[in-house]
Amino acid sequence: MAEEVIRVEDFSFKYRQTKKYALKHLDFAIKKGEFVCVIGQNGSGKSTLASALVGLVPQYFVGNLHGRILIEGHDTQHTSISELSTMIGLVFQNPFNQLSYTAGTVAEELAYGLCNHGVPREEMVERVDRIARIMRIDHIIDKNPLELSGGQVQRVALGSSLIMEPEIVVLDECTTQLDPMGSEEIFDIVKNLNADGMTVVMADHDMERVARCADCVIVLDRGEIVAQGSPNEVFSQPDLREHGVEPPDFLKIALALKEAGVKVDRLPVTEEPTIELVKEAIHS
Amino acid sequence: MKIEIQNLEHTYPTGEKALDGVSFTLDNNERVAIIGQNGAGKTTIVKHFNGILRPTAGKVLLDGVDIEAKSTPEWSARVGYVYQNPDDQLFLDSVRDEFQFGAKQIGMQTGRIEQLLVEVAELVGLSDKLDVNPFDLTQTEKKFCAIGSIVMMDPEVLIFDEPTMGQDVVGNDRLAHIIDVLHDQGKMCVTISHDMKFVVRCFDRVIVMCHGHKLLDGPTREVFSQVDTLKESFVVPPPITRIGQALGFEKTVLTLDELVEEFSKERAK
Repeated sequence: MAEEVIRVEDFSFKYRQTKKYALKHLDFAIKKGEFVCVIGQNGSGKSTLASALVGLVPQYFVGNLHGRILIEGHDTQHTSISELSTMIGLVFQNPFNQLSYTAGTVAEELAYGLCNHGVPREEMVERVDRIARIMRIDHIIDKNPLELSGGQVQRVALGSSLIMEPEIVVLDECTTQLDPMGSEEIFDIVKNLNADGMTVVMADHDMERVARCADCVIVLDRGEIVAQGSPNEVFSQPDLREHGVEPPDFLKIALALKEAGVKVDRLPVTEEPTIELVKEAIHS
Repeated sequence: MKIEIQNLEHTYPTGEKALDGVSFTLDNNERVAIIGQNGAGKTTIVKHFNGILRPTAGKVLLDGVDIEAKSTPEWSARVGYVYQNPDDQLFLDSVRDEFQFGAKQIGMQTGRIEQLLVEVAELVGLSDKLDVNPFDLTQTEKKFCAIGSIVMMDPEVLIFDEPTMGQDVVGNDRLAHIIDVLHDQGKMCVTISHDMKFVVRCFDRVIVMCHGHKLLDGPTREVFSQVDTLKESFVVPPPITRIGQALGFEKTVLTLDELVEEFSKERAK
């Protein structure tokens, strides 16, 4: 069995300035190499959970906390953000929150984390070059990060996180500023790294993509986990919309056929299996 | 209002040619989506609809009047542009002030402003947030605040730049409702969007841009049936349409009901 890299134990958190708890009694574990998607409507706690996994909650965003989170066995309350950052990286929803605002060029921005960890110069140059190629930002490597388009900044933000080669990466709606082709490119990169063993926790609103990528889906509603399991298990739950989440359109197709009286023996959530299902149904 | 774009070119001061001879006409209360990759020229083109940008060649006519004849503030009273990022638009201390600002600027009567304020706040779902500072709103609420402040000016045309970005199910439903209401009021609604589900749900006409040119222009169904041309511009039809196409259905389907209907026809064959 793969080792557990994230363990969340009866975790609750309330920001100091708010009355309600942003997260309530979360309890789950994530194994090495898993691709986990966190979904839920805006305000359901996805971003707070992302911040909690990397220790920003409660070390930077203070408040009331119960329970604990262990990252590779290290308690996020008692391990420095700097040490945690070598194990788990976070890519923010707003890429402009990720920039160091001290770097004059994209190359310096990418190297920022490596500098802070005292990586030797030669290795640093080599890692910057490599990640710039992977993220397709090598042509803008000498530009000022503040002169870039939103989509380019998102690539830089993800690059500056992945360059640390974390075991785990947390992605908080990190492709909102990219066009569909750009975001598919980013997901291909993440999927490849995941295939090589990197653990991924991703918050996203694109349910077709979630269904395609995730080994496990966690649904949050008002700070609580209301569903958890494989994309098939989670998306076929009938009360999903009450929690502000809709299943992928592919699943809706199977359900619509069922409603129309067609015998449907499975409920696929991705494209190819849906095509297969409908083909079979046409000829049955 | 009628918006006529004639051989429009736009070259930025950097020398980058963002639009290279684009022509089309938008009429009255059409619902039009402009789609295409980043850098295709979508935002550049809509910023010509109220003179935020001026043609470097070609013409833009609004109800037959050359855009150059009036200032951007004058045109903005009739053609409202909702920014992609609400932080680029919001700057006052309360939602109420944001809502009143543009309307006051264009000289709307106080009584009318007060009446509209109630309607618009209800429409965008911020009735109980009127005294809140926009910076204390969630990102979703900020977007609706930005939309509300433009709707308040009661323009004939509304342009929504990437309105579904970061929206959840509830936000998308509200957005669809807002567009329905504005359409029923006789207003023209234009969007720039990467969200093909939203385009199919709310817009009757689609213009596909690619490298500063217009690649396709027509009813939504027709445009999404041009699979090969869409590939050129890296546009992928929405999931339901793709399934219909993969199955070789004769009709390009846009909704679940249409898909089931085509399915039944195929099965009966």
